Amino acid sequence: MLPLYLLTAAKNQPILVELKNGETINGQLVNCDSWMNLTLKDVIQSSPHGDEFLKISECYIKGIHIKYLRLPEQLMDQAKEQNLQNMEQRNRNNQKRRGQSSNPNANSNASANANSNNSNSAPQRQQ
Amino acid sequence: MSTSPIQPEQTSIQQKDPLTPNVEDLYLESYAFTTAAAIVGSVDRKIFVVLRDGRNVFGILRTFDQFANLVLQDTIERIYLETEEAQESVPKRFAETYRGVFMIRGENVVMMGELDIDKEDDHLQEWQQIPFPEAEKELTASQAAKIKEQKLKSKNLLTKGLISDFAPSDLY
Repeated sequence: MLPLYLLTAAKNQPILVELKNGETINGQLVNCDSWMNLTLKDVIQSSPHGDEFLKISECYIKGIHIKYLRLPEQLMDQAKEQNLQNMEQRNRNNQKRRGQSSNPNANSNASANANSNNSNSAPQRQQ
Repeated sequence: MSTSPIQPEQTSIQQKDPLTPNVEDLYLESYAFTTAAAIVGSVDRKIFVVLRDGRNVFGILRTFDQFANLVLQDTIERIYLETEEAQESVPKRFAETYRGVFMIRGENVVMMGELDIDKEDDHLQEWQQIPFPEAEKELTASQAAKIKEQKLKSKNLLTKGLISDFAPSDLY
C-alpha cells in the first residue's frame, strides 16, 4: 500500500497539512492526485507561529509545498479493509468471467482472462 | 601468514567499537537496493526521521514509495533542548508529543534510521522531560536567534565578496 494510495483512502476525512513555510491547514480532504496536490473543504489555515487563523470554505494545495500530513488514526485499518473488499470483489468477478468463458466458442476470452488475472495478482503481492 | 603482526591490532579495534562495520558491508554489491527501495527492510519497524526543519519524529514505518514519502504510525515528535556546554549542572531537557499517523513528503527528510526498541530510551535517563508547548516555545526562540545570527553572518561575508549558503528553511 503506497503512501499516495493511503491518501486517496483518506478522502472525506479530516486531515492536517503542514506546508514547508510552517503554515498548517486543517480541513476535510475532497480530492488528491499523484502529485499530492490536494483540495480541501471547511478549512482552517493557521500562520507559522500559530497566532493568526483564517477560515476558508474551500482550498487547493499544490503538492510541492507540503512538508507533512497528519491523517486520521483509523485510516490504516480502513484502507486495509477496503483493500480486502476490493480484492474479494475482483476475485468474484474473475471467477464469473471464467465461468462464462468455459463454453467452447470463447477460447480467446479465456486467454485474455488469464492475462488479466496475472496483472491483478501483481499489486496483491506488494502488500 | 605474513601479515600476522598486524592482525592483533585489527581485532582489538573491532573489539573496541561494536559499531565498526564489516568491510563487506561497505561494498555496494552487498545491497539489493541502493535507492529509496533500500528502506524496504525497515518496514513495520520503529524508525526515527529528521526533517529539514529540525524536527525529530519517531514511529513505526508502515509504507513508503520511490520519493521516500514515508507513512509512520503511532508517531511521536520529540524536541531535544541542548544546554550550553559551560553549564553542565543544568540537566538537558526534552519534550515529546503524540502525532498519530504521519505522512512525510520525501523531500523534507534529512535522514532516517532504524531504532533498537530495547535501547531507544536509554539516553533519556540523563534528560529531564518538560511539557511540549514550553519546549516548542524555547525551540522557536533559539531557532529565530540562529536565523538572525546567520543572516548577520551572510551580510558580513557579502561585504567581503563571499557568499554563504544558509537557508532559513534548513534548521537541522
